[in-house]
Amino acid sequence: MKNKRPLWYYLLPLVSLVLVLVGWLYMAAAKPLLFPSPAETWQRLIKLIEVPLARVPLYQHILISLRRVLGAVTAACVLGVIFGLLVGWSRTFRATLGSIFEILRPIPPIAWIPLITVWLGIGELPKMLIIFIGTFTIVVTNTYTGVAMVDPLTLSVGRVFGASRRQLLMEFVLPAALPAIFAGIRMAIGVGWAIVLAAEMVGASAGVGFLIFRGNELRDMPLIFVCMFIIGSIGALLSAGASWLERRLCPWRP
Amino acid sequence: METLTPKLCLRGVEKTFWDKKGRATPVLDQVSFDVRDQEFLVLLGPGLCGKSVLLQLIAGLDEPTAGQILLDGQPIQGPTPKVSMVFQKTGLLAWKTVLENVEIGPKYAGVPREERRRTARRFIEMVGLAGFENAWPRQLSGGMKQRVGIARAYAAAPELLVLDEPFGALDAQTRYVMEEEILRIWEQEKKTVIFVTNNIEEAVYLGDRVVLLSSCPARVKNVYPIRLPRPRDMLSAEFLALREEISAAMDLSV
Amino acid sequence: MSELNERPVKVQVRQLTKKFGDLLVLDNVSFDIRKGEFLCVVGPTGCGKTTFLNLLTRLIEPTSGQLLIDGEPADARRHDLAFVFQESSAFPWLTVEQNIGFGLGIKHVPAAEAKKRVDRILELMGLEAYRKAYPGQLSVSSEQRMVIGRAFAMEPDLLLMDEPYGQMDIKMRFYLEDEVIRLWQQLGTTVVFITHNIEEAVYLAERVLILTNKPASIKEEVAIDLPRPRQVSDPRFIELRRHITEQIKWW
Repeated sequence: MKNKRPLWYYLLPLVSLVLVLVGWLYMAAAKPLLFPSPAETWQRLIKLIEVPLARVPLYQHILISLRRVLGAVTAACVLGVIFGLLVGWSRTFRATLGSIFEILRPIPPIAWIPLITVWLGIGELPKMLIIFIGTFTIVVTNTYTGVAMVDPLTLSVGRVFGASRRQLLMEFVLPAALPAIFAGIRMAIGVGWAIVLAAEMVGASAGVGFLIFRGNELRDMPLIFVCMFIIGSIGALLSAGASWLERRLCPWRP
Repeated sequence: METLTPKLCLRGVEKTFWDKKGRATPVLDQVSFDVRDQEFLVLLGPGLCGKSVLLQLIAGLDEPTAGQILLDGQPIQGPTPKVSMVFQKTGLLAWKTVLENVEIGPKYAGVPREERRRTARRFIEMVGLAGFENAWPRQLSGGMKQRVGIARAYAAAPELLVLDEPFGALDAQTRYVMEEEILRIWEQEKKTVIFVTNNIEEAVYLGDRVVLLSSCPARVKNVYPIRLPRPRDMLSAEFLALREEISAAMDLSV
Repeated sequence: MSELNERPVKVQVRQLTKKFGDLLVLDNVSFDIRKGEFLCVVGPTGCGKTTFLNLLTRLIEPTSGQLLIDGEPADARRHDLAFVFQESSAFPWLTVEQNIGFGLGIKHVPAAEAKKRVDRILELMGLEAYRKAYPGQLSVSSEQRMVIGRAFAMEPDLLLMDEPYGQMDIKMRFYLEDEVIRLWQQLGTTVVFITHNIEEAVYLAERVLILTNKPASIKEEVAIDLPRPRQVSDPRFIELRRHITEQIKWW
């Protein structure tokens, strides 16, 4: 129905963007100390790119955070999908490990920070472990739900046409649960990105979370603003990446 | 014809479901009838009368509470390659192409890839879908999906085909086309067919015999041999008279 | 019922045309619906019946043409249009009684009048015993009957029914068809009934509108002047059914 969408429909996003900018400019004029102006923020970004902070260039800060998130989330996805499939599929497995998982699941990942810091110090591994704990539970829960919600008809089809139990799991249950699994993965990436910032704020010498923490310490408001924009943009990029992966892996979906 | 040994015997088949509080719901009550070799037998009953449950038992997806189901004189124990099924909701696997859907029967029976692809192509052509081998199910209309379901059931090389209200979700005109199709295929492939429906016109049009079931719990109310020559005229006086006779005997669904 | 052609015109459809992009779906359709008429619309599969219905319900705007009710352009604020679809649209959180009265509340029908109408519908449909039940406690067919009752209770200017019995078994269908005829005769509602089932159309309609294949236009109007209750094995019934079937197949 291309013929009848009025022009202002396309202008609306622009209008809302302009409104936000105007609001920002107004706040910057009213409280210059708390609200750095767009120009100031932009200059701070340029400076951050040119002059490394804590002897680490900006792109390195970003890469270090990304590596922590992607490393931990990848591990959480691989192990989480396997664990979730087993819990959903095998009654024995559900009875043994499922209940332990249920007890540990409600503990928020941030609550593990003190314990893990005491046990493992403040290196890379403990940070990734915290992210892993936070995202693994999400992937497992979604995978498990996906498996539990597979249409019984799908299983009947598999059984009538003679699929073995392994074939049932790999060719019927897994693909049927993929949409739910991907919902979990997308969520895990988002949450992982949030946890890395928290972990880096506690003890790190590089990373985007470290940068924003430093901005807070120095009362460098433009730096905090820059960091928040970077965090937002990378979060959006990550979720776009997850959607792309989903389209590649599920070509049958419209 | 009467002297042939039956392909399938049902002897006093009963099925009762119990809910969590231990309340019993009897669904099938003393169901007995025979299906002859290469016969087109129609099971007719009001909505929700347990027809589908009966098919589940015949397909080996569930066990009767009492009574016996004998295929070639042997009790049915679990799904067998001898019995194949067409489902009302088609049960096509969204993540497999048309060809991959149709080949699952021979695939799980261990037929080598080239051979089973040949088989699948032959049956896809038989149902008039040549050229759609690589389409995804979601790209097909309701009637085409059910054609794939029929091709899939035949490709599994069964001796007995059970069809569970296969055209129930189709509109009236597509339904007439599919009824002619299923008769053409049945005459060509010479398999024993059990066809479940709640549509009296469809039952009289298709069946060699029509087994009329009561409302829940289902009992056999009557068996009608349909002696009209094929192709049958749905508007002929004999046809309408038979339809009226069966209609009068059929229960109103609860 | 007076002779169809003597009744006043209720709805005028004038040169209704719908294009989606360059695709012409409905081509210059014009017809009248008389007050209190029971009109059935049939057509080949995929002929654009859904688009046709959506135009009548004002869910989509026509590319050109008009829909007039009592001589004025159809307007949801001024006219009452009621619909029944194949999928039940009962409100599960309301009782049968509340479901049937729901539209009346929205239209600010006075409470006493609303109660009277609800009672009448419950009585006509034999649903009095279920007045306080919830839709979930009814069978699928009873639920659909309730939805149909709700539509009639609105005493709408035009009632549109889209294959309301598509999924029911034949026996239940006969039963419900008789019931809808009874409601229609008692209440004098103007009904447009869309179906794929030609036997159903001949059983119900005063007039059958046959649509052509896409782009849909009107192929023929067939007046069904058989006395009621109609007999599906009556030779004249069969003749009409054959004729309409031929018209649909012949595209």
